[in-house]
Amino acid sequence: MTKTISRRDFLKLGAASVGALAMGQMLPPKVAQAARAAGTINAEGDGFVHSMCEMCVWRCGLIAKVVDGRVVKLDGNPEHPHSRGNLCPRGQSGLMNTYDPDRVRTPLIRVGKRGEGKFRQASWDEALDLVASKMTAIKNKYGAEAMVFSSTHNLSQPLFENLLYAFGSPNYGTQRSLCFNAMIVANTMTYGMEEPARIYDDKLKYILLTGRNLLEAISTSETHDLIMAIDRGAKVVYLDPRYTKTASKATEWLPIKPGNDLAFHLALLNVIIGEKLYNRSFVEKNTIGFDELKKEVSRYTPEWAAPLTGIPAETIARIAHEFADAAPHALAHNGWRTSNFVNSFHTQRAITILNALMGNWDVVLTEAGGEESGTLGAPAQPAYPRISALRLDGVPWKYPVVPFKIGVFQELRDNIVSGEPYQAHGWFISRQNPIMSLPDRGKTLKAFGKLDFIVTVDIVLNDTAWFSDVVLPEASYLERYDPLMPMGDKVFLRQPVIEPQGEAKSALWIYKQLGARLGLGDYFQYTDEEDYLRQQLAPLGVSLEDVKAKGYAEAPETAHSGESSEKTWNTPSGKIELFSDTLAKVGFSGVPTWDEPPQPDEGQFFLLTGKIATSTQFGTQNNQLLHKYSEEPRLWMNAQTAAELGLATDDWVEVTSEVGQIHTQLLATQAIRPDCVYMTPGYGHLSKGLKTAYGVGANDSAVHVTYTDPISGGQALSQTFVTVKKA
Amino acid sequence: MTEIKHHAYLFDATRCIDCRACMVACSVENNVDMDKTRIWVAGVGIKGTYPDLQRGTMVYHCMHCNHPDCMSACPVGAYTKVEDGPVTYNPDLCIGCRYCMNACPFGVPHFDYDKGIIDGAFIDKCTFCPQRIYNGQEPACVQTCPTDALEYGDRDELIKKAHERIAAHPDRYIDHVYGEFENGGTSYLILSHIPFSALGLPNLPETPVNEVSEKVMEMTIPFALGWGAVLTGVAAGVGLYNKKQEDKAAIAEKAEAVK
Repeated sequence: MTKTISRRDFLKLGAASVGALAMGQMLPPKVAQAARAAGTINAEGDGFVHSMCEMCVWRCGLIAKVVDGRVVKLDGNPEHPHSRGNLCPRGQSGLMNTYDPDRVRTPLIRVGKRGEGKFRQASWDEALDLVASKMTAIKNKYGAEAMVFSSTHNLSQPLFENLLYAFGSPNYGTQRSLCFNAMIVANTMTYGMEEPARIYDDKLKYILLTGRNLLEAISTSETHDLIMAIDRGAKVVYLDPRYTKTASKATEWLPIKPGNDLAFHLALLNVIIGEKLYNRSFVEKNTIGFDELKKEVSRYTPEWAAPLTGIPAETIARIAHEFADAAPHALAHNGWRTSNFVNSFHTQRAITILNALMGNWDVVLTEAGGEESGTLGAPAQPAYPRISALRLDGVPWKYPVVPFKIGVFQELRDNIVSGEPYQAHGWFISRQNPIMSLPDRGKTLKAFGKLDFIVTVDIVLNDTAWFSDVVLPEASYLERYDPLMPMGDKVFLRQPVIEPQGEAKSALWIYKQLGARLGLGDYFQYTDEEDYLRQQLAPLGVSLEDVKAKGYAEAPETAHSGESSEKTWNTPSGKIELFSDTLAKVGFSGVPTWDEPPQPDEGQFFLLTGKIATSTQFGTQNNQLLHKYSEEPRLWMNAQTAAELGLATDDWVEVTSEVGQIHTQLLATQAIRPDCVYMTPGYGHLSKGLKTAYGVGANDSAVHVTYTDPISGGQALSQTFVTVKKA
Repeated sequence: MTEIKHHAYLFDATRCIDCRACMVACSVENNVDMDKTRIWVAGVGIKGTYPDLQRGTMVYHCMHCNHPDCMSACPVGAYTKVEDGPVTYNPDLCIGCRYCMNACPFGVPHFDYDKGIIDGAFIDKCTFCPQRIYNGQEPACVQTCPTDALEYGDRDELIKKAHERIAAHPDRYIDHVYGEFENGGTSYLILSHIPFSALGLPNLPETPVNEVSEKVMEMTIPFALGWGAVLTGVAAGVGLYNKKQEDKAAIAEKAEAVK
């Protein structure tokens, strides 16, 4: 190919060299200095930097291409087990989160009424002093427990936990009860671990997906694994009231009636136990409570489940036989959340037990490597103060088997409103958006109204920041260090690829600064982010520069528990608990049992929500690249039903639940059960500080009703019933 | 990767999950304007009636034809078929006539209606990421694809791979590699489980359209010369005939006069 330089190229070259000249006269910025020391960026500011994605919590490895100190492209890191060289659309769009024109560049202090969006810029010193003084005042007047802390699953979480536990508050909100509490608690009660890892090897023959829309709710490597398993000819049976993209690739799609996944799985157990299709030696050696389980499921025949699920009895029986024939190379995927109802804990237990009966341990399921590695160092710190106050989220006094680290977020919000068992007065929120994530947005705003002080750490003015008193601008994932992430026999690094926009700072820096002002400096014994990482790396004998150059360090893997025959499980009995005495002791059924879900009234629909490939929760709708390639969010309704109601695609409709009402446009489609409607969550933002996302779509949280599974504390996200009429 | 003599893509519709990572990757890699795209998702979407449904998706961009119609139609030579596969476009030569848009059977070249002749580029299309493929990287769309629905390699090897995949799963695939022969062969090859027409692909003959047109065009001058000669001959003949008729008339006149 011949390359000719046009007039336009000349103009570009001219502009670039002027820029380079101006830069050269200044001292090189911090990131560039560090990157040059590690050899990842040359003297011109160009190069490739290894880091980790944060467009969702899967954390793929990435390689960022940097030109003139700007990140211009992200590619998947082939050496990272979560990306294997690929990135999903969100990962590809990541630089647009960093270069979002709506980024918060300085600390902000509210000057108008809450929700008016009037803020003034402040220095870090002023903002941090204000936050520390407000928190101290609340602690002195009402006790430390009057401060609520919440943050979502991220790598700086240990330091966030330091902040809240050192401060002395028991009130810790995570998003997990809005997502997968049922799955985590079910696995913990059965296997003694949160979530086993899944093995997609060449022998895998049968995959049962209960609402796990893996081809739209993308976890890059697992999505790849599933497609390759299908490619090799594995059978996939997929349960979902919607014909999703996963349904279209499945061998068999079963449009099950929402809330009845439990009936389907109880019937599978009925056939498998009744016809002795399970792995007897594995069950005898590794489990307890088989007789109790057998007795309970004997009444759940396929004929019983058929009218509940809308799936013929012979189909259920056939799938039970097929699954057993394929075992142990058969996987019943827990999913993260099935159609979520108050009975979801039992559904998840039934799925977990189905795997256990097949003896597929160490064949398709195995122990997952933790996110904390015993091989890494950490700064010294004192013990936490003793905390005696009750938790506002009802753990454990109302939810006895929900782990502390997981909690029941919607209950926490409800008790801020009720003031029971005591009144909360402040809320520290980091990288989380409860106004959009919690069901019943009106109630969350009411909770905000009860509080004297709200501070939010984020990169943009999300809805929660919009209603806060102080906003602290965090550096984006391409601009900051985070604590190391162990995975397999490596630890991976997130490192800054470019300088932060404006005065944005890392969470490691923010928590340390705040800790110092609260008199908790001993819990943050690192001089800066790099010092924290050096202390983590010390036991490995690896230099930070080496890790920066490669993006990871070798670290011996935590010992695997070995062959299943000698395996002991981290449960009270040391076995896989088909019957759980822990559950029985606190008054729940020790084995999965049928719990009839509530039904919509005549004229009402099940309101379903579910992920799409081009967004993550409610945090990416302002990303211009994702906005470019996302479809306009609309309310799906079965085309036949819509025709009967005189509704057509693009009609504006009014959607009403018992807690709220929204207006949105309709999509009449064949791809959904006639008794359901679906909307993509995360749209309909209130913050006018999000100029791309504002005014797009309608908000699901505004209509979602709060129902909590009494065992796992999970929000029953599919248990909202709505009416739909022409707006 | 083996040496690539002819750069090509293989798209497998059975693997595509319509996630659009390729589209975002292309937009970032090539700094494509926010209101434009060089990759499209086409295909049938959802077909059928609940609950008997089927879904198809095709991701496409420039097919990089072996006999590019855009190049054939371009009056100023702005298109080049590079020997190793890519069809390139030179905005500096383009005069914005849009003949290529009409000529392309896949509707690929897109006209930049926002820009005037002074601003340069008129047409936007896939470049095959030369900045990547000549530096040992896959094109941006291929590199990121989370399901390997898009693959990149040597055309002959990808064709071989495609046929192997069909042979391994004859029940799954339509027994045809679209682009192997269509329009004289393309560098974007497609495997599918549903008819190619349902993916929005035109039914093209194996002989490239432009091969016919170019042959015709090649004959223009000889034909014009030949036709000119014929016409000259005819004109001469007519003249001769007229002359004869005139002579006859003159003789008759003379004869009349004699009477």
